[in-house]
Amino acid sequence: MTGVILFFAGTLTLAGVYAALAQILNLSAGWGGLWDLGMAGTVGIAAYVYTVATVSPSEFPNLDVALGLPIPVGIALSAVVTGLVALLIGIPSLRLRGEYFLITTFAFAEVVRQLMINQSSLTGGTVGLNRLDRPFEDAVTGGNYRYVLLAITFAVVVALYFFMRRLGRSPFGALLRSQRDNEPLAKALGKDVVRYRVLTFALAGVLVGLVAPLYVWYLKRVVPDLFAADLTFTVWTALVIGGIGSFRGPAIGAVFLICLTEALQFLQVDAEHAVLLATMRPLLLGLVLILVLRLRPEGLFTERRAFQRRTSPRTAPLAPQRAALASSPAAMETSEGSGS
Amino acid sequence: MTATATLDVEGVVKTFGGVTAVDGVTLSTAGSDITALIGPNGAGKTTLFNLVTGFDRPDSGTVSFNGRRLSNVPAWKAARLGLGRTFQTPVGFPSLCVWDNLMVAAAQPASETILGAVMGRTRWGRDLEACAQRAEEVLDQLGLSDLRDTHVADLSAGDAKLLEFARQLMRRPRMLLLDEPASGVDPSRLPQLAALIRSLVAQDIAILLIDHNLSFVLDIADHIYVMARGRVISEGTPDVVSNDPQVMEVYMGKAA
Repeated sequence: MTGVILFFAGTLTLAGVYAALAQILNLSAGWGGLWDLGMAGTVGIAAYVYTVATVSPSEFPNLDVALGLPIPVGIALSAVVTGLVALLIGIPSLRLRGEYFLITTFAFAEVVRQLMINQSSLTGGTVGLNRLDRPFEDAVTGGNYRYVLLAITFAVVVALYFFMRRLGRSPFGALLRSQRDNEPLAKALGKDVVRYRVLTFALAGVLVGLVAPLYVWYLKRVVPDLFAADLTFTVWTALVIGGIGSFRGPAIGAVFLICLTEALQFLQVDAEHAVLLATMRPLLLGLVLILVLRLRPEGLFTERRAFQRRTSPRTAPLAPQRAALASSPAAMETSEGSGS
Repeated sequence: MTATATLDVEGVVKTFGGVTAVDGVTLSTAGSDITALIGPNGAGKTTLFNLVTGFDRPDSGTVSFNGRRLSNVPAWKAARLGLGRTFQTPVGFPSLCVWDNLMVAAAQPASETILGAVMGRTRWGRDLEACAQRAEEVLDQLGLSDLRDTHVADLSAGDAKLLEFARQLMRRPRMLLLDEPASGVDPSRLPQLAALIRSLVAQDIAILLIDHNLSFVLDIADHIYVMARGRVISEGTPDVVSNDPQVMEVYMGKAA
């Protein structure tokens, strides 16, 4: 029984990590309209920067850089470096149209993964860096650490949720959604759209830098293959299932998705069918995605509901202009103009 | 003459591939409250709007607003200089409600910061209060108050058109470029639309508009430029333009 509870604690921690990442993706892609397919790359950079900053040279003598800094400093360094990398990627690519940004970020993530494999003196190569230290690990015994990590992850997810609520409902959030909806109009209203997009992408990088150590603590290791494209697609799937642009959707979508796929481990199969079962995970992801898009195209939660104004409409008498121009269906289309 | 802002376009040329969309256009809104730009489809009117407002860059020629050169000024900067514009199709920000559409339009860059979002009501709060007050005024002026919480995607075409005006009014532009304001409005309602545009002039907002509805343009404009094949072929008061044989030929296919 304890084993099952520990399994659930571990699963919920992993779900929490994805919930945090999905909330960050919701900021950049959901509200900002920045279709980032390189999240695995930024998570990888953040994870390696944190690891290299915190491991001691005595434990990893083969590494060229092992700073042995305290964990909080490592997290801060991870946030700063990942934010700067996102800034450097964003400045040239966010001037381009959406699809070019998508391709650039996808390619960036693959370049980062290849660097992780090839720069073995910095990253440990394909074997990666294993048996890493985690915060408060000495204070608890054995499997109980999973509960500590679950509590930390839960706190991060909740903090991120309230941060995103505040950001989304602020003028900055409204501006992000408006430039996503209609870029020419935002520009015509004096909004420096490119600047805000770059800032948003950099902020997402900083937040990934703060969250990625959770992933490192959960796995206790960093290996290049952990940061392949399927990480990006899992976060995207969680976001689509939960509801792009909503507040609760990304986190709940991630918890739903991860719990569903991890539950496959409960299926007892013989060795002959184990490989088949392993291929079930992406199949299940795809199936859930298709079902959600078919039945609830906006996801479990919707952006519209998240931003619904709660004030009751003021009932004012119609001004002459509107009464004349807009209130009657007859005031609709008659003289269709066209561009010149 | 009420409006004080002036726009001067001199010898502006714009080509796309082998097609010259705007071919040495020169015009000025000086001395006119409401200037109109008319011409058949493909005359280059909207392209000229895009060049004036920084959405496109001219190959040659100059654009000046209140004496300031706008060469290489991006669209968002031109807007901050007081040059507002509307679009042919009033899409707005569909996922935002009417109120948020207005607040986004009016918010100053200092309010739209990440730090401002995190800190909440600090010194940025005063700017937002001023925006909210302005939004109330504009909603009342255009009679949109009862739609404040409605999403733009749910508005009727007429309300969406009014919101297009409302967003620009929030910014208090010095000059407003209206791209086909009468399109989609019932002809019997055009006098009210004209009254709304004239009320903008009374607020010291100069108007430059494009429209295909000749009777509407002849009724409202002080000065008219007629474009065809990228060039200005005629200009003058409504009386002068409406009696110009060249204009008749462009619109009717032959001289009257």
